[in-house]
Amino acid sequence: MSEDLVEDLPEPDLALVYTIEALLFLAPDPLSAQELADATEAEEMAVIASLATLAERYAPGRSGIHLRELGGGFTFASDPETEDAARRLFSRPRASALTPAQAETLAIVAYLQPVSRPEITRIRGVSADSAASTLLERGLVEESGRSQFGAVLYRTTTQFLKLFGLRSIDELPDVAQWDPSPEEQAELRERLLRAGEARAGGDPPGVE
Amino acid sequence: MTLPALDLDLEIFSGPFDLLLALVLREEVDLLELELADVVLAYLDHLEGRGELDLETATEFIVLIAALLELKSRLMLAEDDEELLDIEPGEAAEELLERMLQARRYRSASTHLLELFAREAGVRFRGAPLPARLRKSIVPAGEGSQDPAVLGQAMGRLLRMPPTISLRHISTQRVTVAERLHHLRGLLRRGRFSFEEAVRGEDRMTVAVTVFALLELYKRGEAHWEQHESFGDIAVHAVAAAAPLRASAG
Repeated sequence: MSEDLVEDLPEPDLALVYTIEALLFLAPDPLSAQELADATEAEEMAVIASLATLAERYAPGRSGIHLRELGGGFTFASDPETEDAARRLFSRPRASALTPAQAETLAIVAYLQPVSRPEITRIRGVSADSAASTLLERGLVEESGRSQFGAVLYRTTTQFLKLFGLRSIDELPDVAQWDPSPEEQAELRERLLRAGEARAGGDPPGVE
Repeated sequence: MTLPALDLDLEIFSGPFDLLLALVLREEVDLLELELADVVLAYLDHLEGRGELDLETATEFIVLIAALLELKSRLMLAEDDEELLDIEPGEAAEELLERMLQARRYRSASTHLLELFAREAGVRFRGAPLPARLRKSIVPAGEGSQDPAVLGQAMGRLLRMPPTISLRHISTQRVTVAERLHHLRGLLRRGRFSFEEAVRGEDRMTVAVTVFALLELYKRGEAHWEQHESFGDIAVHAVAAAAPLRASAG
């Protein structure tokens, strides 16, 4: 919950806090303050005050359930400390690990969405079909219309934001931060050119 | 007999064939100005003079002349495409570099995502959807990539029988080479005419068939033609007794 929102909030109305708690318990997906305000017919500021109260009550260390702000809304999530028991209770682990190919494909979709499969393939240099299908199946990406050439476009889902602990896609760091430094780039360019010359045998391409 | 022994006496070159070849390849002789048909004729004369056919050199000659023809036809075409053919090695490296950087960028980003994923490991959410009776609407609002109304309309169109299209206004065009030949021969009686004049006001089909008719006239030795530039007008004239045999199309 954003720090700046907690200040200057009205005194929370207990009935509203209970209602919102119940709605959050029922909802399978994150609920935005706006959605909660519409459902409870309350002022948005009153809803935010109630959420602040709930966030305190469901804070790490105080409850097995935490109130998290994820995927554009608020949702209850289990305390990771409870995972071992949860795993014994439920047959399946929460989410299996991603393969490097799936993670790369997911990164490209996350940063460039909406993006088409051919574009992902072009960036990765290898086919992304199987990885993209798995991500679709796992609900981490979904279709989002078609490009002007008819290719299906993909975007990330709320499920993705939830599983990766993100409030919104804007929370991802700037992708440029992983670019190599100008010196490294220059060196890479140098190496490429040398390799190219070695392959061409030092001769300019001739007329056939 | 070997090919180098073939001596040529052409408008822009006289000397052995292999020298001509070397000069063309070094671009000292302009291939565009070289009448390849004359080279072929000279070779045929040469063969006739020898009275025997050496398959090996004949093959060599055909390969070389075919290569020259291809080269020449390429030269005659517009040169717009040339830029596309070769990318400078520097440019190629730049493009490759750009792609490598991009791949690297997203590979690093994927590492970051995996860290986030690991950090959130063990956090579970309510997995079950609401029971149907608690939902606002029984049919979940699917966010498809296409509008269902568009699909409905498309299906509707398929189910309707289209009216039979009347073809009455279409008449089959019949233009025969014989007809055009007759027409051309009529014009040829004047001695010469221009192709433009022969097909003035005609549709494309007729123009095309007229070209065939013209070829027929040429084949039978009744007419010759000249065209001085690509897409220029074609001047056709009746063959006088011993007109020089010469196809300007090269």
